[in-house]
Amino acid sequence: MKSVIDDDTPNLGFQIAPMIDVVFVIMLFFMVMAGSVKVEQHLISNLPGSVESDSVDFVDETIINIDEDGEISLNDEPMDSPTSKRMTNLKGSLVRLKENAVSSGNKMVVTIVSDPQASYDRVVDALNALSAARITDVTFTVSEEE
Amino acid sequence: MAGGGGSIESGEPEFQIAPMIDVLLVLLIFFISITSMEVLRIDQDIALPVAEDALRAQKERGEVILNVRYNETTRKARFNINADARPIEASDVLITELTKAVAQAQTSIKAGWNQNVRLVIRADKTTPSFEISRAMNAGAEAGISDIAFSAASREDSPVP
Repeated sequence: MKSVIDDDTPNLGFQIAPMIDVVFVIMLFFMVMAGSVKVEQHLISNLPGSVESDSVDFVDETIINIDEDGEISLNDEPMDSPTSKRMTNLKGSLVRLKENAVSSGNKMVVTIVSDPQASYDRVVDALNALSAARITDVTFTVSEEE
Repeated sequence: MAGGGGSIESGEPEFQIAPMIDVLLVLLIFFISITSMEVLRIDQDIALPVAEDALRAQKERGEVILNVRYNETTRKARFNINADARPIEASDVLITELTKAVAQAQTSIKAGWNQNVRLVIRADKTTPSFEISRAMNAGAEAGISDIAFSAASREDSPVP
């Protein structure tokens, strides 16, 4: 953008054009930054407790085991590779189990049993698969060290 | 904002600079606020695991944030409650401090909020499960049954 400078009037006053240029550049910077912002999210779990109830609810209990090397098994059946982050098999199986539980009117309860040395990263992968399958009754426990 | 506008005396509408600047500034403030707000919520010292399908953090409730930093050389975890700088290692101290933090969080619960205090565990991705279990046990001893595990929405962008 150009502006004509008159030698007789050295006081230029407030220049609007450069200000708009600068504002545009700053806005572009923040727009790009907003797209790559890392947001913190939560995976919800509840500790097991005792609740007094008159009715007896039937539950479909599922157990997810996490080994020290990161292998995840669903009801003793190995799922995906220990390095897989997407967990497509686990997610698919959990979705099917959830649909079965809903169609039979039962409540689906999942317990994650992790090896004491298994990394938190792998626990979160399992919790993420449960969240993708919309399973909310989740308990996390660590197996006893031998 | 005043000044910078054109006139329509000649019959033809001119480019109006003042409303454009107003809109630009509003957009700028919007992008600055969302960028800085989300960045401030994340503690850069902890490398959170990634969970793309997790839920957005709920703000309208009392919560106690427990940071778990794991040192792979010493193979020990250090806990910090609500970004307090004092590191905690022993389980009994952790229970005492968590009980205090829960009592404090209960006083800050506003009307209409969820009345249960939630324990938010923010742990390094390399932390072994038994340290997470220790944190959960301490939470249970402090009277918390609602637990949330913190995770990032995406991986860190690669450094060019």
